[in-house]
Amino acid sequence: MEPLTAGLVLLVALFALLATGLWVALALLGVGLLGMLVFTGAPAGQILATTNWGASNSWALAALPMFIWMGEILFRSRLSEDMFAGLAPWLSRLPGRLLHVNVLGCGMFAAVCGSSAATAATIGRMSLPELARRGYDPQLSIGTLAGSGTLGLLIPPSIILIVYGVGVDESIARLFVAGIVPGILLVVLFMAYVAAWAVLHPERVPPPDPAMGLGQRLRNSRRLAPVLALIAGVIGSIYTGIASPTDAAALGVVLSLLFSWMSGTLSWRTFAAGLMSATRTSCMIAFILAGAAFLTVAMGFTGIPRLLAAWIATLELSPHALLAVLTVFFILLGCVLDGISIVVLTTAVVQPMVEAAGIDRLWFGIFIVLVVEMAQITPPVGFNLFVLQGLTGRSLFFIARAAVPFFCILLFAVALVTVFPALVTYLPARMAG
Amino acid sequence: MGGAVAPLRRRRGRIGTALDGLYFLSAAAAALCLVAICAVVSLQVAANAADFVSERLVGRPLGLMVPSYAEFAGFLLAAASFLALPYTLRCGAHIRVTSLFDRLGPKGQSAAEIWCSAAGAGLSGYFTWYSILLVAESRRYGDLSPGMIPLPLWIPQASIGVGLAILTIAFVDRFISLLAGVWPGDAVADGSVDDGAPADR
Repeated sequence: MEPLTAGLVLLVALFALLATGLWVALALLGVGLLGMLVFTGAPAGQILATTNWGASNSWALAALPMFIWMGEILFRSRLSEDMFAGLAPWLSRLPGRLLHVNVLGCGMFAAVCGSSAATAATIGRMSLPELARRGYDPQLSIGTLAGSGTLGLLIPPSIILIVYGVGVDESIARLFVAGIVPGILLVVLFMAYVAAWAVLHPERVPPPDPAMGLGQRLRNSRRLAPVLALIAGVIGSIYTGIASPTDAAALGVVLSLLFSWMSGTLSWRTFAAGLMSATRTSCMIAFILAGAAFLTVAMGFTGIPRLLAAWIATLELSPHALLAVLTVFFILLGCVLDGISIVVLTTAVVQPMVEAAGIDRLWFGIFIVLVVEMAQITPPVGFNLFVLQGLTGRSLFFIARAAVPFFCILLFAVALVTVFPALVTYLPARMAG
Repeated sequence: MGGAVAPLRRRRGRIGTALDGLYFLSAAAAALCLVAICAVVSLQVAANAADFVSERLVGRPLGLMVPSYAEFAGFLLAAASFLALPYTLRCGAHIRVTSLFDRLGPKGQSAAEIWCSAAGAGLSGYFTWYSILLVAESRRYGDLSPGMIPLPLWIPQASIGVGLAILTIAFVDRFISLLAGVWPGDAVADGSVDDGAPADR
C-alpha cells in the first residue's frame, strides 16, 4: 500500500478509536500496533515492551510527578488566600483594579505549578468570589481567569513542556527557560487588555476598596514571600544550572510541604489526598506517554512521518506558511483533543516535517504550548472551561465567549514570537552550562 | 488514608470489593515510589549543597552522593506509573474523548462502554504478555543496570509487568461487571473522590 494511504488509514483508525471513547493511551497503542502488524513485518510485541521500558524509566521524566505533586500540595495550602491578600492592595489603582489579580496571580502561581487547569482553579477559588462580592463584571472576571490560567502551561515549570521535551529529546531545562519571556509577554498583554477595557467601560468597574497605608500594604505583601521564595528556588536553580528540573522539582515538593506545614494546612488527610491525586494524574500522563512512545517507534517503522515530511517539502511552503497551516490544524484539533494528546501526536508525526522545514526545535516547543493554551479555552473540549464551569456554575458557552478576547491575544502572541523568534531563544542561549 | 480510599468504598459485591482493595494497594505502592523519588533526589540535592559549602570552607568537596540516584529515580518512576494504572482507571482519571460518546443514548453508551472495556482488556493483555516476556528475558541474560550500583534489570521491569497485569484484571472486571449490570460507575463520577487540583487533560 502507498505509505500516504497507509497514513490516512491509520489516522482514520485513530479517530475512530478515540470517538468510541477508548482511553487515549490505548488508542495510541492500538494504532501503533495496527500500523506495525499490517504495514511492517517487525516483531511488534517485543518492540512494544522494550520501547515502553526505555521510555518509562527516565530521570528527566521524574520531574513530571514531582511538579504535579508540588501543585497538589500548594492547591491544598493557604497560598491562594495569601496571594490575593498580598496582590490586591497594589493593584487597586490600575485601570481594571482587582481584575489584574487574576492575571498576576495566575502568572505567579504558574511559576510554581505546571498545569493550567490547576492554576485557574487555585487562583479562581479565591479571586472569583472576592471579585463577585465587589461587583466586578462577571464576564471579564471569568475571561481573565480562563485566559491567564493557561499561563500555567507556558511559565516554567510546565507539564506540557516536559512531555514535549521527553518526546523530541530536547533539554527540559532549556525549554523551561525559553518559556519565561513569552510568559511575561502574555502577562503584559493580558493586563494591557484589561486596562484598555476598563478605560473604555469605566461605568462597569466598581469603586476601589478603601485605600490602605503603605505600611499595611507592605505587611500584606509579606504573605507573598513564600511563593516568591519558591519561584526563585525552582526557576532560579534551573536557570543558573545549579539544579536539573528533576532536582528542582523534588526540592519544590519538600519546600511546599514545609510551607504548607508552617501555614497550618498540612494534615495527614491533605497529605494523603494530595499524594494520591498526584499519583493518579502522573499515572494518567505516563500512560499516554507510553502509548505515544510506541506510536512514535511504530510510525518510524512505517516511514509515514518521513514521507509526510518529504511531501510537505515538495509543496515548497515557506516556514511561515507551514506554521500558519499548522496553527489552524492545531486549533481545530484543540477543539476535540486535550493538550497532552496534541503534543504527543505532534512529536510522533509532525516533528520530522517541522525539522525538515528548518524550524528550531526549542522554538517549536514554545509555539506548540501557545497553541495548546488556545486549545484549553476552545469549546467543546477545553479543560480551563471545564474548571471554570465547576467553579462558577455558568454555561460552557458563556465561559467560552468570555475567553474569546484572550484567545485572540494568544493568537497575537503566536504571531509575535513567529516574527521575533528571539523572544523565545534569547534566554536559553545565555543559560549557564 | 480516609479521603484517598473513599472513592473505592462503594459496595459492589465481595469480589468487586476485594479487587478494589487490590487496585488501591497497588496505587499505594505507586504513591510510596513517588515519595521515594522525592527522598532520593532531595538527599542528592542536599549532598550537592553540602559539597558546595565544604568546597568554599575547606577547599575540597566532601564527596557525598547518593549512588545511582538518577537510575533509581527512573526505576521508581516506572514503578509508580504502572502500579497506579488500575486505580487510575477505577477512578475514571485516564483521559478519553467523550464529546461523541456523550451524545449517544443510554443503550449506545453502555454498548460503547462494553466495547471499550473489551478492547482495553485485549490491548492491556497483549501489553502485559510482552512486558512479562521482557522480564523473563532480562532474567535469563542477567541484564544489569548501568551505574555505581548494578541492579538486575528484571526487578524494576517486573513492576511494569505487575501493574499491567492488574490493569488487565481491572479491565476484565469492568467488562464482566458491565455485562452483568453491576458496574457502579467510575469512582470519580459520584463525586466521592477528592479530585484535588484538576489536571490538564
